[in-house]
Amino acid sequence: MNPAEELKQKLPSAVVSIGIQVNKPMAVIKKEELLNAAQKVKEMGFDHLSVITGIDYMDHFEVVYNFFSYAKKQNLALKVITDHEDPEVDSLTSLWKGADWLERETYDLVGIKFIGHPNLVRILLPDGWIGHPLRKDYDMDTEQFVTIGEGGEDIVSTDGSNLLRRK
Amino acid sequence: METDELIINMGPVHPSTHGVLRFKLRMDGEIIKECTPVLGYLHRGTEKLGEMKTYLQFIPYTDRLDYISAMPNNYAFVKAVEELAGIEVPLRAEYIRVITMELNRVVNHLVSIGSLLMDLGAATMIMWGFRERENALQLYEMLCGARMTFNYIKPGGVREDIPEGFIPKLNEFIKDMEKRIEDYEQLINTNEIFMMRMKNIGVISAEDAINYGMTGPTLRGSGVNYDLRKVEPYSIYRDIDFKVCVRRECDSYARYMVRIDEMKECLYILRQVVDTMPEAKIVSNPKYGIAPMTGAPSAVMPYFPRIFTPPAGEVYSRIEAPKGELGFYVVSDGTTKPYRVKIRSPSFCNLTAIPGMVVGLKIPDLIAAFGTIDVVLGDVDR
Repeated sequence: MNPAEELKQKLPSAVVSIGIQVNKPMAVIKKEELLNAAQKVKEMGFDHLSVITGIDYMDHFEVVYNFFSYAKKQNLALKVITDHEDPEVDSLTSLWKGADWLERETYDLVGIKFIGHPNLVRILLPDGWIGHPLRKDYDMDTEQFVTIGEGGEDIVSTDGSNLLRRK
Repeated sequence: METDELIINMGPVHPSTHGVLRFKLRMDGEIIKECTPVLGYLHRGTEKLGEMKTYLQFIPYTDRLDYISAMPNNYAFVKAVEELAGIEVPLRAEYIRVITMELNRVVNHLVSIGSLLMDLGAATMIMWGFRERENALQLYEMLCGARMTFNYIKPGGVREDIPEGFIPKLNEFIKDMEKRIEDYEQLINTNEIFMMRMKNIGVISAEDAINYGMTGPTLRGSGVNYDLRKVEPYSIYRDIDFKVCVRRECDSYARYMVRIDEMKECLYILRQVVDTMPEAKIVSNPKYGIAPMTGAPSAVMPYFPRIFTPPAGEVYSRIEAPKGELGFYVVSDGTTKPYRVKIRSPSFCNLTAIPGMVVGLKIPDLIAAFGTIDVVLGDVDR
């Protein structure tokens, strides 16, 4: 029995479907049950949260969590599907400290909000950046200019008015 | 006595941050109370670029993630594509890939140890490290014409077969390195100042390291016996004899020692691979057959179409890069370009642990601990 089947057996209400992602077992989880399922996954021995990926499918978002178990040497992927209007999922920072930056990055680039994250601010792009670049509808034609303000904070503009120009 | 807390910005242009990284430090006297890394100065939007380039066009961009060890980056992306499309690779090409990747591991650790020692104030090691690295880079130049950004590993094989005179020169390099590593150990290992700076500095327990998602030499320095080459053998690592280097002390010194031990293992692997490498033999691709007009198949690269469309699907594939676990999450929608490329870079995830490691230490200790984490900012910011 692979870990996805095991999870379905333990939490039949949380798992929507199970499948295989090339060679790794994968389970699709209900959005509301993510924290429960993650807790169960951690109890099952999956102690390494390898990566969090957010994918924009135009009409919905998918958030994929890839886990690995050091003891059992097994892989497991969890997938959560959210709506496109207001993508929100629960934060896993209470279970894995490593989720902190991975969630911030997903928020920054894909624009998925993680409820319960202690410090959900942009990590790679400066504060005030307009849009989330990895969304398919991101406006790539508008240039954005960044400079450092007097207090050390980042200032973003779309017309370059904040930049110091040589006369 | 009443004291005030002081905010110090270390970086983004600080010699010890190995690139453009900023630490915001809240100091109480000389003691670090809080450390907040500020990233993004080298963010180039590689993941977005991945969605706009074809699969073959994206390979050169992977070189520029971790530019100290570019070959494993090439391979990690190519491996994901190969898993997605089910492409078989000629055995000789797999051998060449392992040679290049293990050589890159030696190069990476030389730079890592060299720059660590220089940050601590000992300039000898970086001179020595770069002297040996130069020999390795010349080997790469023979192989593919480039010294740092290779674009050498392709889906289905490698770009060219190894040139004449490469193997003797590689053997020379291995023989030379074995002696050099002894020199390094004599110079550094028991140096009193070095040990005072490294021992019990930046301690992170195995549980914490796992919880933070640390991988690679930093995890093995905390006593976790874990190496993807052993756990999920890819390429030809299943047939290669090597041991996983583990230290149990959990401190900076342990992480340094893991790197020294790993260099020795790399040389051992290189010797084996060179000895057992199969002969060159022209192969055809079971999937795409013999080339119709151009792009003659060779012993290491069967004919591979330039416009290449893998079937729709998604894959997460990871390898043991010199800095840790490097993964690519590739989603294909059946067109010529990936729908989504996500890069799980080892430097980014290892850096997560720094704020927890350095609270209560002094700034010079932050430099020592940070040096042994071994990050490259191209890999952190992507």
